[in-house]
Amino acid sequence: MNVFLAILWKDLLVEWRSRDRVVAMLVFSLLVVVVFHFSLPGGATAQTRATAPGLLWIAYVFAALLGLGRSFSAELENEALSGIALVPVDRGWVFLGKGAANLLVLGVVQAVTACVFALVFEVDLTPVAGRLAGVVALGSLGLCSIGTLFAAVAVRTRFREVMLPLLLLPLLVPVLLGSVRATSALLADGTAPFAAIQLLIVTDAVYLILSFLGFEYVLEE
Amino acid sequence: MTGYADGSTALRASGILLALLALAYGGQVILAPNDSMQGVVQKILYVHVPCAFAAYLGFLVTAVCSGFYLATNDERYDRVAAAAAEMGVLFCTLVIVTGPIWAKGTWGHWWAWDPRLTVTLLLWFIYLAYLLLRSFTEGSERTARLAAVYGIAGALAIPLNYFAIDLFGGAAMHPENLQRGSLGQGMGWPFAVGVATAVAAFAHLLLLRVGLEASVSPSGGRLSIRG
Repeated sequence: MNVFLAILWKDLLVEWRSRDRVVAMLVFSLLVVVVFHFSLPGGATAQTRATAPGLLWIAYVFAALLGLGRSFSAELENEALSGIALVPVDRGWVFLGKGAANLLVLGVVQAVTACVFALVFEVDLTPVAGRLAGVVALGSLGLCSIGTLFAAVAVRTRFREVMLPLLLLPLLVPVLLGSVRATSALLADGTAPFAAIQLLIVTDAVYLILSFLGFEYVLEE
Repeated sequence: MTGYADGSTALRASGILLALLALAYGGQVILAPNDSMQGVVQKILYVHVPCAFAAYLGFLVTAVCSGFYLATNDERYDRVAAAAAEMGVLFCTLVIVTGPIWAKGTWGHWWAWDPRLTVTLLLWFIYLAYLLLRSFTEGSERTARLAAVYGIAGALAIPLNYFAIDLFGGAAMHPENLQRGSLGQGMGWPFAVGVATAVAAFAHLLLLRVGLEASVSPSGGRLSIRG
């Protein structure tokens, strides 16, 4: 438990002091939203608004891929990752610390992106803000748990920037489907369908347990 | 060909079994009646369905052997997992290629986002990523360990993906089960022999591949040029 808090605190402190990861993710995801706006003909119409939740989640996933990759490649300097692996505790706690830090950093990026997204696509998010935050948190939990596990895998390969999306995207389909469905239902009629929430909860649970146990084999001294 | 030394009897037996089955299978498919609605194009299914069995068998073997590898650290499990993933991708490619040819003739579309189809496609991507992960990782022990984690995650993603796409994806186009009566007169045997042949082909290729892997130096996860 102490290791969890120590890693979480360390990652957040490093992030607070440099702020490079959160800024890079933020600028990137805002750019993605703007590029989406220009790649859809006619700007904010009813039609583009219908596809908007999907686009929002694509921006989130892209930003997450960027941040997840960085969260471990930064640890390669001075062999810090090997140092973390040498800590004599269950590595699952290391995973939880890293994952929680990733989740919080991503959360900041997501909140700002959602505001800009609402402006660009002329969607009013204020009436459903609380529920939307819940759905985004559920989706991001799955995204960050399996993402943190495979970011630690990808960092040990050649072409790690390419490897992470290749490994991650096929596994993210349940998370994406559930999140996009829940978000579009929220924007359309203000309630998230139970089936989508259920899917997200089940996927989150499976991916959390898998990553907690799998992390043991992914870190190496 | 010293690589076959430990499994040469099994290899020969599976080869002979495969040859016999392939003969029977060819005969069965030729003799099977043409479908009254779909015509001759329906015979693609005698290839499509058995290949799907072999593909899923490959992914299952990969996941199970990955689990055993992590539990025991025995390199042999890793070799089987890697070989099974390659066979799985091979058969899955055949499934994905034969499916649209049949679908264009019957449904009128090359592709539909049917749950089973989509899950198979995603599985193909997952195991391609698995093979890429293996070839982009250095050190056989590290390759084995990282790939094993991904192999298990890939198998866990199958039910999740299926559940998700079944809920929100396209309408189901594949038959839900293999109940008696869903196949016409004289179509059961070609399917049964086809599945047996595909499984025999899978087993034979797997043995060949594992033997090849074992014949390379124990540290090499990949083929290397040797004098």
